[in-house]
Amino acid sequence: MAQRKTSPLPGFRLTLGYTLLYLSLIVLLPLAATFLKTATLTWDQFWTTVTAPRVLASYRLTFGTSLLAAMVNLVFGLLVAWVLVRYNFFGKKIVDALVDLPFALPTAVAGIALTAIYAPNGWLGKPLAALGIKAAFTPLGIFIALTFIGLPFVVRTVQPVLEDLDAEVEEAAASLGATRFQTFRYVIIPMLLPSLLTGFSLSFARALGEYGSVVFIAGNQPMKTEITALLIITKLDQYNYAEATAIAVVMLVFSFVMLLTVNLLQWWGSRFQQPH
Amino acid sequence: MSVEVRNITKTFGAFTALNNVSLNVESGELIALLGPSGSGKTTLLRIIAGLEFADPGTAQVLFHGEDVTNLPASQRRAGFAFQHYALFRHLTVFENIAFGLRVRPRATRPSEESIRQRVTELLKLIQLDPLANRFPSQLSGGQRQRVALARALAVEPKVLLLDEPFGALDAKVRKQLRRWLRKLHDDIHITSIFVTHDQEEALEVADRVVVMNEGGIVQIGPPHEVYDRPANAFVFNFLGNVNLFQGRMDDGLMKIGDTELHVAENLGTSVSDATVYFRPHDVKVSTEPVGQESIAALIRHINLAGPVVRIDLERADTGSRFEVELNREQWQGIDRRVGDRVFVDLQRVRVFPTDPKAPVEDFSI
Repeated sequence: MAQRKTSPLPGFRLTLGYTLLYLSLIVLLPLAATFLKTATLTWDQFWTTVTAPRVLASYRLTFGTSLLAAMVNLVFGLLVAWVLVRYNFFGKKIVDALVDLPFALPTAVAGIALTAIYAPNGWLGKPLAALGIKAAFTPLGIFIALTFIGLPFVVRTVQPVLEDLDAEVEEAAASLGATRFQTFRYVIIPMLLPSLLTGFSLSFARALGEYGSVVFIAGNQPMKTEITALLIITKLDQYNYAEATAIAVVMLVFSFVMLLTVNLLQWWGSRFQQPH
Repeated sequence: MSVEVRNITKTFGAFTALNNVSLNVESGELIALLGPSGSGKTTLLRIIAGLEFADPGTAQVLFHGEDVTNLPASQRRAGFAFQHYALFRHLTVFENIAFGLRVRPRATRPSEESIRQRVTELLKLIQLDPLANRFPSQLSGGQRQRVALARALAVEPKVLLLDEPFGALDAKVRKQLRRWLRKLHDDIHITSIFVTHDQEEALEVADRVVVMNEGGIVQIGPPHEVYDRPANAFVFNFLGNVNLFQGRMDDGLMKIGDTELHVAENLGTSVSDATVYFRPHDVKVSTEPVGQESIAALIRHINLAGPVVRIDLERADTGSRFEVELNREQWQGIDRRVGDRVFVDLQRVRVFPTDPKAPVEDFSI
């Protein structure tokens, strides 16, 4: 038998075993059930279900608005984190607390509130309508809702990293002749990149699966403002379980591939932190 | 290039970090700003670099006669090395050194070829050319500080400023690196100012030492001068181990306990509350009294480890304790045990009025 390696940290087997069991029960088992249920369809049935025009339209809408919302959150989340870390102002603590609100609010409440504001007779919907822009019951409304629920992810992942950033590094850049913009672009952003990517992927993943806040503001017209999650619910309502899980499986695979890609990017962006 | 600062005052809220400081550094000099923490030395260095600005008023910073008082750090061309290196951890060693060249405006930016050449030269200078593609996290502390120095030198600064450059390194590397810095300076002759709280480092490396305390400059001079002729008790105390005896000065005659010392340089001065300062190695120890000025003392502890023998003594008359250092041969001539009586003659002493703030009889510094 090979010589047993001892680790200075005891309990490796116990904790790993527990982790695997826990993840299996909480994450893998339900996902496996989805795949199993889908397998009751024939390949033809599956393919027809997941490539129906209405379903394809929902993929485009869901991934498109989610991606857009995550990108907007990336930019403005960084801005919010920057302001919260770098400046002192009256009411900073309140602003800081406000950032978490989209986390805490029941999504249905957020959805109703956003709908009320952006509806054609709402506070913001009215002036927008006067400009010829329809927010509620259009993809724009979905995008707004997804931006709302995704914001905290970027702020909360970037904020601690920005706080830990050493002021001396910026001073070093300045003493080497770099302008403020060059310091930001070539020193600060690369150091924040791993956390920015994490925030982006969390925000994106959250938006993909979002249901509660979107259904109210979306209007849910087939082919136009129907998100994939809603389509799945509709199938379930029609007792069409196998078709519902089939669409879910497609979502799952898509999401997994995207998150994996972001993770790889993240690994590449933080390669300077790893000993080679 | 010479550096001059005039009338620098800097306050942080109620705390005065620098109080009307002026200093002139000649072209090509290597200067040490030496002082305890809170003496204002780092603040002065940062004001020279443009990372901090003096309180408005008559304050001036001149580089080679040119007024740079209001220029930001990015336009001063002053190379700065930080105690904790402040390397860009997302860039390789090569790119760290190249940074200052790459951020230049397009008009003055060197070509890729000449950047490569310059960086390679500097990598050779710091003897790290095999590690060009490593990231800072893969280097030791001493290597990181050398990269930080090369990065600062890459932009051909007019002056090199170093803030406790070896402070975060262990004792052995610190010694190697400060000799390397001295040699580097002898090779490239760039006007350099470094901050340290380590008197040994300042005395070994610098052309001139600027001793600072409580926001002001106390003494400026070559190392041997500040060491041998300290301007006041603070400098004497700060520059090395010291013993203190308190007593009374009466026209050049210093009364300490049962002994009277003749101090030639204090003829004509009388102070009722004076302190004698002497270094542990500026003594002669004998087994019999040599003359009137020999001080009887009992041996309390003997430390034989190392190149010098350290002996803790207790004066027979006042009971106050002090420390002496002898080389091994001198000790062989005496060779007494703990509890034995010896006689101490002070070879070189300085007498200063007793500082009411100074701790009494602290021979252990």
